[in-house]
Amino acid sequence: MSKRVLVVDDAIFMRNMIKDIFASGGFEVVGEASNGLEAVEKHKELRPDLTTMDIVMPFKSGIDATREIIKQDENAVVIMCSALGQESLVMEAIEAGASDFIVKPFRAEDVLAVVRKVLGDA
Amino acid sequence: MTLDMSKYLALFVSEATDHLDALAHELVKLEKQPEQTSVDSMFRHAHSVKGMAAAMGYEHMAAIAHRLEDLVDAIRSDRSLVTRESVDLLLSATDALLGQVRAASEGNEVEEAPELEAELAACLASVVAPPGATTSLLDSSAGFRPPVAPVATGSAPAASSSDPRPASSTPASSAMPAMWADSSAPRFTVKLRIASGCQAPGPRAFLALKRLAKLGSIFDLNPAMEELRAGKISEGLISLELETGSSESSVWGSLDSVAEIEIASVVALESTRQPRKRPIGHPQSPPTGQEAAKTIRIRTELLDYFLDTVGELILATAQVREIGKGVPLALRPALEEGVDRLHGLVKDLHEKVMSARMTPLSTLTDRLPRPARDIARRRGKDVDLAVAGAEVELDRTIVESLSDPVLHILRNCIDHGIESKEERALAKKSERGNVQISVRRDRDRVILEIEDDGRGMDAEKLRTAAIERGFLTQQAASRLSHKETFMLSCLPGVSTAKDVSDISGRGVGMDAVKRAVEEVGGTLEIDSERGRGTRFSLQLPLTVSVVNLMLVGIGEEIVGVPVAKVLSALEVDSNALSKKGDGALLRHSRAVLPVRHLSDLLGIPGAEHAGARPYLVMEAESGKVALAVDKLLGQEEVVLKTLSRPLDLIPGLSGVTILGTGRPVFILDVPRLLVT
Repeated sequence: MSKRVLVVDDAIFMRNMIKDIFASGGFEVVGEASNGLEAVEKHKELRPDLTTMDIVMPFKSGIDATREIIKQDENAVVIMCSALGQESLVMEAIEAGASDFIVKPFRAEDVLAVVRKVLGDA
Repeated sequence: MTLDMSKYLALFVSEATDHLDALAHELVKLEKQPEQTSVDSMFRHAHSVKGMAAAMGYEHMAAIAHRLEDLVDAIRSDRSLVTRESVDLLLSATDALLGQVRAASEGNEVEEAPELEAELAACLASVVAPPGATTSLLDSSAGFRPPVAPVATGSAPAASSSDPRPASSTPASSAMPAMWADSSAPRFTVKLRIASGCQAPGPRAFLALKRLAKLGSIFDLNPAMEELRAGKISEGLISLELETGSSESSVWGSLDSVAEIEIASVVALESTRQPRKRPIGHPQSPPTGQEAAKTIRIRTELLDYFLDTVGELILATAQVREIGKGVPLALRPALEEGVDRLHGLVKDLHEKVMSARMTPLSTLTDRLPRPARDIARRRGKDVDLAVAGAEVELDRTIVESLSDPVLHILRNCIDHGIESKEERALAKKSERGNVQISVRRDRDRVILEIEDDGRGMDAEKLRTAAIERGFLTQQAASRLSHKETFMLSCLPGVSTAKDVSDISGRGVGMDAVKRAVEEVGGTLEIDSERGRGTRFSLQLPLTVSVVNLMLVGIGEEIVGVPVAKVLSALEVDSNALSKKGDGALLRHSRAVLPVRHLSDLLGIPGAEHAGARPYLVMEAESGKVALAVDKLLGQEEVVLKTLSRPLDLIPGLSGVTILGTGRPVFILDVPRLLVT
């Protein structure tokens, strides 16, 4: 059974790109969300094996959404999507319970390597 | 398996194989010298394979590697667990893993090995039950701990920039309940290494520390937290002390799910015991600084491609030179100057490519202790294998083609050469047999000798067997020199072994050994003394690809014969031959040689010869022969290319080359041509 993924990002382009990467890695993208509020809702509904989370998003930040998701499901695996220069935000997200992070620009191998590492533990 | 995974497969296979080979090698060493051998690197190999297998999704492989790791861990703390049986079990686990890696590399299913897993589990249960119970208790409590490690969890990141607390040797969590600061909890010095390509080292390190903090308290963090958070991590190395009730293997495993960072070493700090040093990284792949930057892994196919291409360049240069001879005189100097320069550059490049292909013989000899041990054990013998000079380098093709022959000789030495313990005792020899492999460079050759101190070969029996099988006459046999007699053992079917054991005697025989050595341009010599032992001496070229070729004309065709295989070349009038039945005999330096016509052997119509014609005197399996050819066209140094399917299946052809004129020429393996 392929692992089920929820992709959270406010940019459609980014979501598509991330979806392609996961598809190439044999993952099943089961849902998408474009902001933190939607992310928390979708996570509750879909219970994915893994969620990728943009940090800066409208309505509710990725960090706050992560904190709520972990509260909802302490075993949830959330991977932050960050860019260079967001180091302190990433560490804040790790404090909030994020399992790992990936750094833009994304390279498929790197993303999948991080994801597989994390899921190997889960 | 997804397409993407296949990208990692080759690397996984190569790295996992390296780890497992090294592990097997060290296990054999461990059995011999349990006290002096470091178990730490074994643990690391097992741990790496486990992690790699898990990352690739090979659950069954990871499961075995996991058990293997646990067992090695148990041995690490108690050397008395090193027994023949436990080493056997560990070796079979290593073999099973190698088999699984091979299956994976061939695209096959990685199969389960339930018996082996059960055996490993049973062995583990018998050795680690009591301490294991305590460990798991502590492990489970770790999850309920208050956040004792302030470096990772004590301060919110937002506030951290104003947090002046430096990491120090006192637990920064001094306000924490004393029960968690139990001074009797073991401490480990943990070194972490962040992958060089990591884009965000700060958060990466932070994440790793957070995971470690789940196990216990962190002290003596270096670099300090502030620098770490800012990503100021010199060479990606982090060190810290971890006080934890968890086992050392849990510490190793704590970062298994974190990418781009790995544990380089875990050293227990215990007052009662000596700290166990673990080298940072794999001994063969120096991890730090300049050394790492100087070497890279390269696919062997690529090396072969370089050699092929540079060979083509040499040919292309020769072609241009050839064409230049037809260019008007006025233009020639400039052209020739250009060609000379090109020639020089290509030659230089060729040299560099050849040196890149040089591989130490240790890649071969390192794999020998294991089979040596197994063969000796099966025969109930104790044999010490010593290797000297394995650092000598040869072209990798030669090293690879020697692998089977050397193993076969080693088998022969242990199986037939070394006597049983009783026999050795009677002969007043030490009970332990010795096999010595020594390698040395002798100008442009490499001499590889494999010598045992066993019973030696029986020359008389060899002669009798060879005569019985019709290889030579009684008379010829009596004329053979000492060394020539021992070479009779390389004739197919001639062996002094009384019985065909299950160890030697199968697969390749000494005839195949001799052929393999000769195929790479080497020669084999055997010397033996009754009661004292046998020495196999392999003389090898450093490189294979450039050979000196004798070009020979047969009718319209041109073929090549390696000059090294030609004993002499002469012109003889057909009247000078003596007749014998259908054939002819040629008198040459006090010997009478049977004449064979190359045109007949190749099935090519030859030219008519009224008077004198050239002959090549060559060594064949049945002795010397005179090979009749139409023309001797001279010698040329050529770049040898191996034949690809289906040409390589034709017996008697050993390769092909392309002359400067662009004409392809087959290189003949005359002894095999004569047999077929």
